[in-house]
Order: sequence, then C-alpha cells, then structure tokens
Amino acid sequence: MAKRATILKVSGLRRAFGPNTIFDKFNLEVRTGEAIALTGRNGAGKSTLLRCLVGADRADDGSVEVCGNAMTETSPEIRRDVATVIDDLDFFPDLSVVEHLDLLARAHGIADPDEVVDDVLEEVQLVPQSGQLPGTLSSGQRRRLALATAFVRPRKLLILDEPEQRLDTEGVTWLAQRLKSERQEGLAIVFASHEPELVETVATRVIQLGAPRG
Amino acid sequence: MSSLEAGADDFAYRDAPEPRALTPASPRELKRLIKDWRAGRATRNVLQAISDAYVAVFSAVMIGAMVVNVILKAQRTIAQCTSVSCLSARAILPWAAFAATVALALAASRLFGPVLASAAEGFWLLDAPISRARLLRSRLIGAVLAAFLGGALVGALVAALTGSTATEIVVWSAATALSAAASVAFAAAQQGIERHVLTRVATYVFGLLGVGALFSVVGVAAEWFSLGLSDDLGIEIGLVMIAASALVLLVSGVLAARRLGQIRRARLLTGGALVSGISGAFFALDIGLARDIVVERRAIERGHVHPRRGKGLGLEALVWREWQRLWRFPQPLLVLAGTIVVPYAADALGMSTLTPVFAALALFGATIPLLGGLRVLTRTGGLARCLPFSLARIKLASIAVPAILAGIWAVATTPAYLGFGDGAVERTVPDASLMAIATAAAGLLAAVRWTQAKGVDFGAPMVASQAGAFPPGLVTNLFRGFDVCLLTTAPMLLGLSPMWSLVIATIAAIILLNSMDAEAIRARQAEQQKLLAQQKKEREEAAAAAKQRKRQRTRKL
Repeated sequence: MAKRATILKVSGLRRAFGPNTIFDKFNLEVRTGEAIALTGRNGAGKSTLLRCLVGADRADDGSVEVCGNAMTETSPEIRRDVATVIDDLDFFPDLSVVEHLDLLARAHGIADPDEVVDDVLEEVQLVPQSGQLPGTLSSGQRRRLALATAFVRPRKLLILDEPEQRLDTEGVTWLAQRLKSERQEGLAIVFASHEPELVETVATRVIQLGAPRG
Repeated sequence: MSSLEAGADDFAYRDAPEPRALTPASPRELKRLIKDWRAGRATRNVLQAISDAYVAVFSAVMIGAMVVNVILKAQRTIAQCTSVSCLSARAILPWAAFAATVALALAASRLFGPVLASAAEGFWLLDAPISRARLLRSRLIGAVLAAFLGGALVGALVAALTGSTATEIVVWSAATALSAAASVAFAAAQQGIERHVLTRVATYVFGLLGVGALFSVVGVAAEWFSLGLSDDLGIEIGLVMIAASALVLLVSGVLAARRLGQIRRARLLTGGALVSGISGAFFALDIGLARDIVVERRAIERGHVHPRRGKGLGLEALVWREWQRLWRFPQPLLVLAGTIVVPYAADALGMSTLTPVFAALALFGATIPLLGGLRVLTRTGGLARCLPFSLARIKLASIAVPAILAGIWAVATTPAYLGFGDGAVERTVPDASLMAIATAAAGLLAAVRWTQAKGVDFGAPMVASQAGAFPPGLVTNLFRGFDVCLLTTAPMLLGLSPMWSLVIATIAAIILLNSMDAEAIRARQAEQQKLLAQQKKEREEAAAAAKQRKRQRTRKL
C-alpha cells in the first residue's frame, strides 16, 4: 500500500503567555485521511494550538508545515490548501448567505459553482435563508454558514475549532457523518471538540491537551 | 416542641392584615431614584474629572481657538469678494447646508429611533406600571434639543464661512436649527405609528436638494445660468424657512408626544443598543468600530436581498462582488457625487490654494463607505484566510471599484483646477489634470488608511501622560487618513508642482498596499531571528564543547 502523504507537520511548537506555558515541544504529523481530535478542559490550549496551526497566532518556538510549505498565514498556497473555521470568521454585512458561498467558490476557481453551492446550502439547511444577510441569522445559522464556507471550496486540510458549537443534536450528527465521509475521501482534519459523538465518529487519533481534571 | 412535631394548628389560617394598597411610583420618582444611585456610585465630581483631564481640556480650548480664528479669517476674506461666482456661492451654500442638515437629522432619527431606551431601562422601567409616554417625554425633548443645537452650529458655521453678515448668520442658524429639530420631531411622530416611509422619502428629497444646491453653485460660477439672489432675498427666504420649520416642529412635536406611549419596547431598545454600542466604540476612540455598528444595523434593517449570481473567477469574482454590493447600497455614490462640487465651490469662493486640501478631505470622507469590503477583509483575518490570494492582492481587488470611481471623480473635478471662479489661479490643462489626480489619490489613500486601521489594543502596555495612562495609538488613530490627505496635498498647498504630490501618493500607496502583508514580513523576520538564535546557540555549544575538550587534554597532560 502506498504511503499516505503528510499534509501537516508540526515540530517542537511552543506557546506561552507570560509565565504560563500553554504547550511546549508539541509535535504532530497528520496524513491524508487522518482526523485528529484535540480534547481537554477549557483553557487547555486547544484553540491556541489551532490558531498557531492556521497562522492566526504566532508560536514562540517550533515550526508548522502544510504540504511541505512553511506556515505563513498570508501565503496563497496555504490559503488554497487549508480550510479553517475558527472564532474569527467574519462576513460581509451586505452579501447574502448564498452570495458568500458563490464568492468563495469562484475565488477558488470553481467556474460553475451553482451546483456545489446548492448542495452545501441544502446540507447545512440554509436554503430558506439563502437570501438573508448574515446579521439576521441566528447564532446556530451563522455557525452553519461558517461550516459551509469550509465545504464549498477545495481543501486538503480542514481545521475546525469546536465545530459543534451552537449546533442542535441533529446538526452534530450531520456534522459527524460529514466529517467522517470527508476523512474517508482523503481529507486531513484537525479539530478541537468537547462533543464525544463527534470525536468518536470522526477521529482516528485523539490528543488530550493539558492536565485532566483532577 | 421540635419543628418536626408541628400540629395542625400551626398551619391554620390566621387572619392576616389586609395588604396595603401600594401606590405606583411616578416616572419622575423612578428616574430620581436611579440618578441618586448613579450619583452615589460616582467617585469623582465633574470639576475633579475636568481637573484630572486638564491637558485634554487645554488642548480642546487651543484647538477651538484655532478653529474660530480660521473661521473668522475665512469669513473676512470671503466677505470681500465681489465676483459673480463668489456671491452666488455665498447665497447658495447656506441652502445646501440647510438641506444636508435636514437629511442628516432625518437619517439619524430613522437609524436610532429617534426616541430610544437603554437595555436596563427596558428591563426595569418599561415593564413598570407607569406611563410610558411620560417616561419617554424627556427622551423626545432631548433628541429634538440636540438636533436644534447641532443644526444651529452647522447653520452658523456655514453662513460664517461663506462670508455672510451677522444678520444672515443669525437667520440661517435659526432656520437650520429649527428645521433639524422639526425633522427629528417628524421622525418621532412617524416612529409612534411604526411608519418610516415618509421619513425615508424626506431624507432622500432633502439629500438630493442639498446636492442640487451644491451643483447650482458650480452652474452659476461657470455662468451656465444665473439665480439673481440678492442678500435681502436670502434673509427673507430664511425667515420663511424659520416660520415653516417652526410650524412643522409644533405639529410634529404634538403628534410625537401623543404617540410616545405606542412605541414598542423592542423598537426603543434597538436604538438604545445601537447608541450604547456606538458610544462604547467612541469611548475607545474606535471610529471604525462605530461605523461598523451602523453598517451592520442598516444591513439588519434590510434583512433580506434578492441574491445575485457572481461573475468571473479568482480575484475578478471579488471585484465583481464589490461592484454588486455597491449597487445594492448605492447611497455612498450620491455622497461621492456631492463631493465633486467641493473643489468648484472652494474655487468659486476664492480659495484656489486650499482647493486640493478641501477636495481631498471631502473625497476621503466620501470614499470610506465605498471601502466596506476592504474593512471586512482587514478587521479580522478570518474571511481573508478563506481566499486563496495574498493580502496585497486581496486589497488591490477590494479597492479596484473605489479607485475607478476616484478616477472618474478626478476627471469630473479637473475643470475646477483650471481657474474656475473669477480671480482664481489659472492653470494649464496638464497641471490641472495632475492636481485633480493627485487630490483624488490623496482622498482614496487616506480612506484606505482609515479603513484598515486596527482598533486600539487596550491590552498593550500603557503610555503614561499628564492626563493619565492611555494605550499607544489611541490618539494617533484619530488622525489616521487625515495625515495622508494633508501630507499628499501639502506640495500643492505650498505652490509646488503636483508631481511632488503624486510622488508622495505613490510612496503612501506602496506602504499601504504592503502594510497588510506586514504580518508576513514580521513572520519572516521572526523566523530569521529564530534561525539566528539557533545558530548562535549551536556556536556557543560548539565553543563550550571545545573548551571542555581543551580542559580535559590539559588535565591529561
């Protein structure tokens, strides 16, 4: 069997806020078709680690490589390969739900994005809201839109920070199945989660960050 | 007897005293109570607060004195002009200010309420058994009074700056003040019956009248037509406007007061939340955030749009979306069109030398609303990270449409630099074209700088000052954009070739276009520093090992 390609390689990553070391000498290698779940109590450093992985935060030491390229948040190659849903996603206040997805698909070179956009909208159950402006969406609908932005575009690595947040039970089940099928199709996934169903269904490896609750 | 051994008698009904009928508090009493609580928690009175911030007060007085001096100087200069263009501008500009103030008062009223209540008031007071109309009356009066004072200030300022006499200043000040107050009262009356169509229509009508008045300044100065407005006629019309505004204010005020009790709580709180968000942003001196809140609110008001299919691929798709977004909310185009008049009006008023500065500042203000896409893509990195392009390219795509519009603006304003008004500085067509381009570049780049400014980081180490500690960048953030405007237009102001302005604009553009990639540059620098540190560590380790070996050899010997 051919060896699967390494998508993400993290070596000796360190991040500290003043005297508090969040993580140190953190190493990780994620190959195609692998899903890594980061678990741990609040403040264990899951979100900080993910922010360092996508370049939104700068690690004090260590390196992150995506498909062999050193991680630079502004690199077009990295942006092309990595789809992220972390807490800093913003929306154009005057573009509707469907227009956001259409823009992202076209920006990524999908010439006729209607089919992809419609499928994703259907999947995230935002068809009735397709013409709504983001400001009028509920928090759960905004979360679904954020997830849709990751699914509407080509990607090799998917990084998600607590994607189950504000989703209802049905939504969490859908997300778990969707991520599982993405993994089976060869996508590499790194996600932080507190949802056991999501972790059990999707993850091929679980990394517990921080000391467990005593 | 223990508590567990209670008998039936213990639970028997006992004649309780008749509950005393409580008298509900009046709105005035409740307000006084809240005021007392607030005052009781204050640790400093007004005088102490002023004394603490004496540097700020001193600065405000200094700047105020400078502004008054500039106004008086301009007033003296313009009052002496005798040319047709100057006289026409003097006659018409107060009209433009009048219409613009009414449009602004109506738009602000529609956005905020104008009658509003804070979330706390909504929770604690609006549910209390008190008359809502009585509770809100002071709010209505406050909003009308604020509009009156704002209108008076604008009216007096514009009339003074156009060289009007003292009588004219008083008349136009009163007319603008009363009309602004009447607009707020009118909007409040509409708010009471939850209808906003008339307010919206009136906003557009007065906005267009304002732009029309500005264009007529240009028309008269270019001798396309004449209005034949005498000074006396201006005063007479002003007095008529005072009477009409007072009538509208009276009728609308009565209607608004009667309808105060009908305003829904949700509508009152929406305005309150908006004001609280904006005031929070202003306290942090983050004007960009204040604008974001307003933009978001307007989008929520619209709520739903008819989705339009995008065009093109890659960056082209982003440019097309910018264009579509502009057509969806085209009001900024109206403002941009209005600013075309500014250089003509400045020239017509005999201020040829200052024309590029005024024009660039006007374009700066008008271009900010056109850069909404750039704002969203730069305020957080999230959305930009979804696009497969470098930040510099994203930025170029985001400013493509505003840059085209600024180019059209430059073409439309070129004749103003040729020597438009009587007695204005006359220039050749190439010189005038260059001046127009440099001015447009200054306005556009200033807006780009303002738009991509990050909020002040209150988590950063504070800077100590006489007025207390404040975070770095708090004050300089206020001048963002204005600095580019003034720096770029300075050579033209000093009578140098506009080529110098273009050189400065090019340098500013290079810095601003690459500033978004500063993150990447910093990351590369950090990476290089890390490498250097690692090499230094390796060298030190090698040196230490060599020393160790040398010591061991010495011992053996």
